[in-house]
Amino acid sequence: MAKVTRVSFIIVGILLFVLVFAMFPAVLQPDRLDGSLQFQWTKGLSSISGYFKGMAGGETFRYMSGTNELSFWIEIGRSFTVTFTYMMIGAVIGMTIGILLGIYFAVTRAHWLKRLLELTSVLPDFVIVMLLQFLIVFIASETGIVVFQVASFSTDEPAVALPLLSTIIIPAIYMIRNVALHMNLTLTEDYISFAKARGLGKRYIIFYHALPNVLPFVKADLHKFMAILFGNLFIFEYLYNLGGVTMLVFSNAFTREGYQYSLVVNGIFTLLLLYAIIFAVLKALVYGWGKVFAR
Amino acid sequence: MNKTLLTGLLITILMLAASFFGQYFAPHDLSEHVSIDYLVDENGESNLIVPPLAPNSSYPFGTDKYGYDMMAKLLAGAKYTIIASLAVAVVRIAAGGIIGLLIGYLSKSKPARTDRVPIWNVLNGIPIFIIVWMVMIGVTMNPSASPFTMALILSVVLALVGIPSVASTVKEKTLVIREKQFILSAKSIGAGHWTIIRTHLFPHLKESFLILFVQEIVLILGLFGQLAIFNIFVGGTTMYFDPVEYVSRTNEWSGLIGQARNNLFINQWILVIPLIAYIVFILGFHLISIGLEKLYKQKFSKFSHI
Repeated sequence: MAKVTRVSFIIVGILLFVLVFAMFPAVLQPDRLDGSLQFQWTKGLSSISGYFKGMAGGETFRYMSGTNELSFWIEIGRSFTVTFTYMMIGAVIGMTIGILLGIYFAVTRAHWLKRLLELTSVLPDFVIVMLLQFLIVFIASETGIVVFQVASFSTDEPAVALPLLSTIIIPAIYMIRNVALHMNLTLTEDYISFAKARGLGKRYIIFYHALPNVLPFVKADLHKFMAILFGNLFIFEYLYNLGGVTMLVFSNAFTREGYQYSLVVNGIFTLLLLYAIIFAVLKALVYGWGKVFAR
Repeated sequence: MNKTLLTGLLITILMLAASFFGQYFAPHDLSEHVSIDYLVDENGESNLIVPPLAPNSSYPFGTDKYGYDMMAKLLAGAKYTIIASLAVAVVRIAAGGIIGLLIGYLSKSKPARTDRVPIWNVLNGIPIFIIVWMVMIGVTMNPSASPFTMALILSVVLALVGIPSVASTVKEKTLVIREKQFILSAKSIGAGHWTIIRTHLFPHLKESFLILFVQEIVLILGLFGQLAIFNIFVGGTTMYFDPVEYVSRTNEWSGLIGQARNNLFINQWILVIPLIAYIVFILGFHLISIGLEKLYKQKFSKFSHI
């Protein structure tokens, strides 16, 4: 099969998966009387057909927010910008810091530092966010100085510093661990000891012999990195009350009329688009790293 | 036995013991609660008692805003947290392990090249907990099913979504071992598929399974927490409408964290104490996993040249 047809098949498959997956809340309902689970497949299928029927008339791209009917195209712009900014910063800076610190962690002798990293890496993202927020509250109650805003209380004064910090820290921790692991493995190879025997400098060996052999692993793990980035996105947009795409979708997914299927589908498509853009950027970044340190 | 492993085991065993026997030693249980009271002692000093009470000698962990003892709540919820996470991990490892072993052993494919990734991975953009959220959100609010049934449903969903990743990890490991010489020699002297899997592949994967199991527990606890942030609690959510408030039916730990999210600024112990218990529990399993890795690493490993 040609590559083009294969890719287009997969894209159609992904679209179908999203359509089917978003109908779950409509399909799976508890029985009102005895609480047993009921599968209402017709409801799910009708919401899919409704999605396509509404495309021509534009109903698919309108949704209810409370009692107001809003246009998806108008509202998505601002949310997209917010999410895109945080994701981009988190992805690019998180990865750069991750690779640099990962190299440092691979060669450092400070074992307590490694242990600290291991411990923080095991904490789920929401715990890190909550601990950061607690730190701010604690500092404020001890000294009276509010260092950063804990969360956005209104759209006019959004919290910036803390979300930025967590959007960088959480993916960076994963990257550091990953790079340090592969760096350690690479440094056991024979060509490293050969380079050492030839009298090359430590820094030179690390950047020009070891790093080019670590970058393929970074590239292979990009999807996992992205998964962490996106999983984290849902949590921190919610906890910091940022008006991003996930908040737009999940605060409006259920209204008085019930479940808004088309909004959720549109929102997930937006997220997949974001995923594709950021993935491309990261791939370019890794490619750039590879070019700089190629011999 | 190294210190890390020992510490981890100690923490986990203590937690387990507390969850099963703690209720017999706890100062209060879930049925009693502090009501609003006005006391005047013999010196004429008056004292107004209004829950939530901060941690004190009678209530070492304080009470929640309805006056229930936090320690009793934690002890009651611990069973759900611990048993559900362990059960989900067992199912994931058993099912994923068998599937991964079989696929890895029987498939024709070679170990995957690291730099090629299928475009399917775009679906990584949808995190696992959102998939679980989608499935559970219609069911979890004010259910008429019992908390146990609800916990069971959530556990089944969590187990199902986790099996593929375990299976693919095990498959990768199996593919590597399958190429080893001793498999070839076993085959050449006429060993059947079942014998090879049972006596050659599985013994080599035993350590990996154990470590994977502990890591899965940590992942599952993380998922519990993330779901709780979005008001899906293990054992179902009670939703009050005026004002809107979400309460865990089982007092499961991540549920206690999720429902106390608003206590960031005031009466912080309601949030901090479950959070600490949760973190310590995760760290316990994490230490076990690191300790095990260290234990197995001592057997065979290369050393860094730099």
